[in-house]
Amino acid sequence: MARVLDPAEVEAMAAALRLTLTGEDLTEVTHRLNALLEALTPLDALVLDEVDPVPILPDVTGIDEPRA
Amino acid sequence: MTSPDLALLGVTKLAAMVRNKEVSPVELVRLYLERIDRLDGRLRAYITVCRESAVTAAQAAEAAVMSGAALGPLHGVPVAVKDQFDVAGLSTTMGSRVLDGHVATETATVVARLEAAGAILLGKLNLTEFALGGTVEFPFGQPRNPWNLERDPGGSSAGSGIATAAGLCAGSLGEDTGGSVRSPASFCGVVGLRPTWGRVSRHGVFPLSWSLDQAGPITRTVEDTALLLRTIAGHDPRDPLTSRRPVPDYRAALGTGVRGLRIGLVQELVSGPETEPGVRAAVTAAARELERLGAHVEDASLSLVPLSGAVFMALADSEGAGLHLPWLRSRPGSYDRGTRRRLLTASLIPTASYHQAARARALIRRQMLDALARFDLLAWPTAHQPAPPIAQHAAPITSREQVAGRFFTRRSYVSPVSLASVPAVALPCGFSPEGLPLSLQLVGRSFGEETLLAAAHAYETATDWHLRRPPL
Repeated sequence: MARVLDPAEVEAMAAALRLTLTGEDLTEVTHRLNALLEALTPLDALVLDEVDPVPILPDVTGIDEPRA
Repeated sequence: MTSPDLALLGVTKLAAMVRNKEVSPVELVRLYLERIDRLDGRLRAYITVCRESAVTAAQAAEAAVMSGAALGPLHGVPVAVKDQFDVAGLSTTMGSRVLDGHVATETATVVARLEAAGAILLGKLNLTEFALGGTVEFPFGQPRNPWNLERDPGGSSAGSGIATAAGLCAGSLGEDTGGSVRSPASFCGVVGLRPTWGRVSRHGVFPLSWSLDQAGPITRTVEDTALLLRTIAGHDPRDPLTSRRPVPDYRAALGTGVRGLRIGLVQELVSGPETEPGVRAAVTAAARELERLGAHVEDASLSLVPLSGAVFMALADSEGAGLHLPWLRSRPGSYDRGTRRRLLTASLIPTASYHQAARARALIRRQMLDALARFDLLAWPTAHQPAPPIAQHAAPITSREQVAGRFFTRRSYVSPVSLASVPAVALPCGFSPEGLPLSLQLVGRSFGEETLLAAAHAYETATDWHLRRPPL
């Protein structure tokens, strides 16, 4: 289980990004962030070290082409 | 034929009627404008109605028919597009006050291709703010499900689903990052396709997540979807990441059916605890129907897909937050509070979690592709439940447990397809006891839209769910 962040920690994280978080926004964002981090904890059990963290997209050939 | 009959005929049949001079484009545009005037005050599908330009285009289309000019495949057919697609001279609102005053100077490639094929643009359609889910207060009116006005029409392409289901256009375009075409198609009882990533241009489409965004049709029939896909698909020099593969004639392939196809029924999403019993029963019955039509249906397992909702949100929301950071700093009050809180949350996702999710995406994709090597198609419900009450979204979030139910669960039914960059179609497969549409999702191989749509067409032809009409 992920460590649960408290509102003061979330407020400090936001401040580091120059985002203002107060009142109901702070309460709800704290719940949302904790929920997402908790939902991602099962990934700890997967063997991911050897997996490249890039999206493999079909037929991508034009990535270096200038846009017309 | 009565006016509602005509309005609900769909793209393919209306195009044939225009071509055969059985109905005039002017008559069609006036019919849809009258229906928009009468019904859209309640449904709120449209943000912009192109009243004058649509009539002018219809008059020109009618003149072309009468003169015997060469006609495009969509000649004279009124369509509408999500207000995420730029149209030169019109505002692109993204369903937000943040973009107030923004007027597009170019037209999105997909819209230009519709118009080049003869379609007439009726207007631009409502959406959840910035194509994210969870909007609480819609600045351009609360979109409502035509089957029950108190129910959610799905998102983010809410207006595209509503307008197509309610006969406020012949067909529409939406954009699907993590289910935004398929979810409204599911809740509104119509057909929605997410094409293979790279099959359709993203030029002129306001972005949410560069590696996940993909435009797709929402239509009344699979044949309409095939026709619209053929029109909008193909390489675009203005989006160099579009595929250079030739675009097949998807309609011509519809008759190939499902005989001999191997279809994997994904048990985690069909029989999982989150799937409502009525949904499970409808999708299982649809699988039996596909079997009766000649497919070999077997159980399949994708153990990682229940994680995909959270993985998707970690990736897509992070990318979205990066785009929105300047506005979140300078004018947070211009966002709906649901959108603002979602983007603020995404801004704070630790980099390590983002990278872990990116790795998990690759694993989910590999598992999907392995399954699609064993099966021609995969099948599961488009949504775990029929359209929920609108009021559910408006309630404040008071615990982290609520977040999982509201955001991650439902996304696990649609986001695996996005994460794997493969195509999927949502199509009606039943109704709940309350009269709300239920939806089957068929998932195909990369660039396998011909097989995918042929299977969907075979099922649709054998059933009558798509013929039912909302009680408007």
